[in-house]
Amino acid sequence: MKRNQIIGLALFLFTVLVAVPLFIQASGRWDFYYTLTSVALLSIASAGVWLTFYIGRINIGQGAYALAGGYFAAIMVTKAGLSFWLALPLAGLFTAAVSVLIGLPILRLRGVYFAMVTLVLTEVARLTALALPVTNGAKGITSIPLPSGIASLSNVKLGFYYVAVALMIIVFAAMYRLVNSRVGHLCRSLQQNEELASSIGVNITYLRIIAYSISSFFGGIAGAMFVAISQSIYPSSFQVADSVNFMLNCFLGGLGFVFGPMLGTLVLYFGWDLLFQTGKYQLLVYSSLLILLMLVLPNGLLSIRLSSILGGRK
Amino acid sequence: MKRRSILKSVAAAASASAFISVSSLAAWAANDTLKIGFVGVTSGPAAAWGTSNVRSMQTRAAWLNETGGVTIGDKTYDVEIVTFDDQKDPKRAIAGMEKMAQEGIHYVVGPNVDDGAAAVRPVAEQNGIIYFPYAFPKELYAPPAGNAVLGMIANYQSGPAIYKYLKENKGVNKVAFVAANESDPLSQRDGGITAAKALGLEVVSDNVTYQVDTTDFTPVLTPVIQSMPDLLVLSGVAPANAPQLIRSARELGYQGLISTETAQDATVLQEGAGELANGFISVGGASTPEIASDTMKEFVDRYTKMFGEYNDESNTKVYALEYIVETLKANPAAIDNVDEFKKTMDTFSAANPYMKGDSHLKYVGTTSFGQKRQVFVPMVVNEFKDGKFETLFIAEVD
Amino acid sequence: MEQILANGLYLGAQYALIALGLTLIFALMNVLNFAHGQMYVLGGFVTYTVYAQLGLPFVAGLFASAVTLAIIGALIEYFLFRPVIRRSSREESTMLLAAGIAFFLDAVILLVFGEKQRGVPKIINGVLNWDFRLIMPYDRILIGFLAILSIVSFILFMQYSKTGRAMRALAQDRVAAQLQGVNVDRYSMIGFALGAMLAGLVGGLLVTITGVNLGMGGPTSIKAFMMVMIGGAGVISGAIAGGFILGMLESIGLSVLSQYGDITYLLIFASLMVFLSIRPQGLMGKPWG
Repeated sequence: MKRNQIIGLALFLFTVLVAVPLFIQASGRWDFYYTLTSVALLSIASAGVWLTFYIGRINIGQGAYALAGGYFAAIMVTKAGLSFWLALPLAGLFTAAVSVLIGLPILRLRGVYFAMVTLVLTEVARLTALALPVTNGAKGITSIPLPSGIASLSNVKLGFYYVAVALMIIVFAAMYRLVNSRVGHLCRSLQQNEELASSIGVNITYLRIIAYSISSFFGGIAGAMFVAISQSIYPSSFQVADSVNFMLNCFLGGLGFVFGPMLGTLVLYFGWDLLFQTGKYQLLVYSSLLILLMLVLPNGLLSIRLSSILGGRK
Repeated sequence: MKRRSILKSVAAAASASAFISVSSLAAWAANDTLKIGFVGVTSGPAAAWGTSNVRSMQTRAAWLNETGGVTIGDKTYDVEIVTFDDQKDPKRAIAGMEKMAQEGIHYVVGPNVDDGAAAVRPVAEQNGIIYFPYAFPKELYAPPAGNAVLGMIANYQSGPAIYKYLKENKGVNKVAFVAANESDPLSQRDGGITAAKALGLEVVSDNVTYQVDTTDFTPVLTPVIQSMPDLLVLSGVAPANAPQLIRSARELGYQGLISTETAQDATVLQEGAGELANGFISVGGASTPEIASDTMKEFVDRYTKMFGEYNDESNTKVYALEYIVETLKANPAAIDNVDEFKKTMDTFSAANPYMKGDSHLKYVGTTSFGQKRQVFVPMVVNEFKDGKFETLFIAEVD
Repeated sequence: MEQILANGLYLGAQYALIALGLTLIFALMNVLNFAHGQMYVLGGFVTYTVYAQLGLPFVAGLFASAVTLAIIGALIEYFLFRPVIRRSSREESTMLLAAGIAFFLDAVILLVFGEKQRGVPKIINGVLNWDFRLIMPYDRILIGFLAILSIVSFILFMQYSKTGRAMRALAQDRVAAQLQGVNVDRYSMIGFALGAMLAGLVGGLLVTITGVNLGMGGPTSIKAFMMVMIGGAGVISGAIAGGFILGMLESIGLSVLSQYGDITYLLIFASLMVFLSIRPQGLMGKPWG
């Protein structure tokens, strides 16, 4: 790692782990905890979508895995009596396993076809949750106990915030590591030309499945964490709109940057909350800003940094 | 910017804000503000539900403030409505409830759907917020839950009353149910089926569902109509779908009765189905001319003036704010203490301004929830006729 | 059986018309227009305003819808998509722009037309009842007929007019078309306007049957995506085939599977996924769209 990166990392860790809680303490804006917890969790799910972008697939189906992960955790906790902290990683593994089964056929699709099939997948997940007996159908699963440890905290919000942020840091560190590894370079070759990659002996099926299942793992744990916070889950807890938002987060942050989804989620989710004051014009202002942003920075927010660096090198 | 100019602009801003606050103080003769929250859906496909909530709250608040505000204990307050659009997303609804807690609000109307109402429960209980959802799951209102108050009549309360009436008066024997494949309507359908079977009615079709975005209901309804019911129940039907379903059923030659347990809007029915909607049975608040008081009529006038068009769903939704304000009047200590509010709920009673005659505002729900966690709204069962609702019968919930 | 076929045909005609506009825009610009459903809703509201509110003839309403949406489409292409496509490094970025436009149109529709479901007076009364084997209201028959008429005239336009030929050339190979002297910018704009116009037209047609409300946009877009996928992305005939297939699938599925109730749509969607896994480019699409 270069020195700049280490300083950047230290600054980031300091901000999320120390500065933000201090700021909230000082300003008394306790509601920011939940908002930022959501941002952290949604950016984990978006990170998964980003990873599928990385192998050249537009994924609009992450909501399906978030829902599956949420239900898995809810069922493990309420019916099997498992501790939530065990159910959380299991939910991720469960969704990863499901994604291998689903991914095998559909990862052969490309471009808009893959995008649309994943979009349909979100709806299929919702309808499956409605139809299965184990998910309790339309009535959802409610009154799920708080995870042990957090339940005994005096400030539940702060507890969830730290857990979510810790998960986010681990996920993005793993992503960074992955992207800069040999597998990451191979994935990038898939993004550019699959036939070529295949012809030089890359096992593209295997790579795609690996990337897709990691992506779904992220979706699953994000969904499971949300269930712990809301203590309930319904078939509509994650729906098509969520899947689309996960994808938009990646676009907004910038597809060329590992930390794009984090920034994109922060801006898109927090932006909506900050516009709370505009009342009935909230959606109008929000969408106008989105369009403007796109006109100014069509390659995502983080492209500012890139272009300034390139400009500096001239 | 140089330091001096920064200082200058800060000073200017400070004096401007001081001026604004002084002038607003002068205008509102030292009334404090009582903030009441709303967390629900005011955009997207279900916008109609939340919008009718927000608008009736805003209409009533403006009216109260115009007449000098509300006096609670020895203080007079102006009512301010703080709204949050959750986009029908339970995750957003939690953020909305957090925002309400941040604003120091203890009384919130909404959310509009089951998943949102269940998701905000932990936040409401942790922050001492009483909320009035428009969602039916019993565990929201039955112990150990205690902070939710059902803002309307649940389908498992109105359904049996309607079926019983129709069985006795219209000779209904065979019932069919149709619902959208979403949580709320499906739960309501299951509740309806249980109620119908308990009354000894024969359920001839109970599993046909539709996507909410259906543009043609003929294929959906064809098998239902073939089962020859006397009564077709549109469980939890959204106001947007009701006219299309009615129209398709009638065009397929269905002659029997059609009913639902949710509130509908007369204009929407008239525009969407016209005279085919005649005879359609739904549940409303104090809407029909037979029972609406002058206050109700004035409310409708003010709403129409403020927003251009009235929504009949507001007939029920006008009540939640009224209950909050009146209960606070009855026990001023509840203004920042929901435990006081809960205590008052058991004994509270006040005149119902929206209904003619000797009707009272009180909390009910003992039969359904084991504790008083429901507002008492007259269960007015309406029949649609030529663009208007007519009262079929009135029942009560306990 | 007759009833099922008739229902399917009617559904198919309206679906195909919705999918046409979407696939045209995709073929010309590689833009997946998330705002297509919102344009359809806007068309419905324009017809509602002209026909039900102002009391003008229905045809005037349809015409107003088509013209309004064509203008909006042209403006959106010129001021939004064109600059973004030129400057973005990956063409998928236009998805965010399209979604932003969809949110924007949703907000405008809510503020201008309100949150309520709207409907217009019936254009013709009466129901065709052929011995209870086939029941079809006359207005549905008329709308189905008008939809098919629109589809046919669109195909003729694409096949024989100079503009249509230019657009087909563009869709087939952008670079080659440019080399042949086709003005890419101009025809992209015309194509986008035409696609938006089709959305507006079908919105205006369907408001007479289903009415219109602001929530219909998103789901309509998704349905249109599915039809385009079935037929093959960016292929005109594919969109038409996809529309009719989905229409039939729903009509047959709903009656054959009616005893299974809740899972009808689950099966329809799941079989769609299976179909696409077997045939990844749809029925007649170019591989890898």
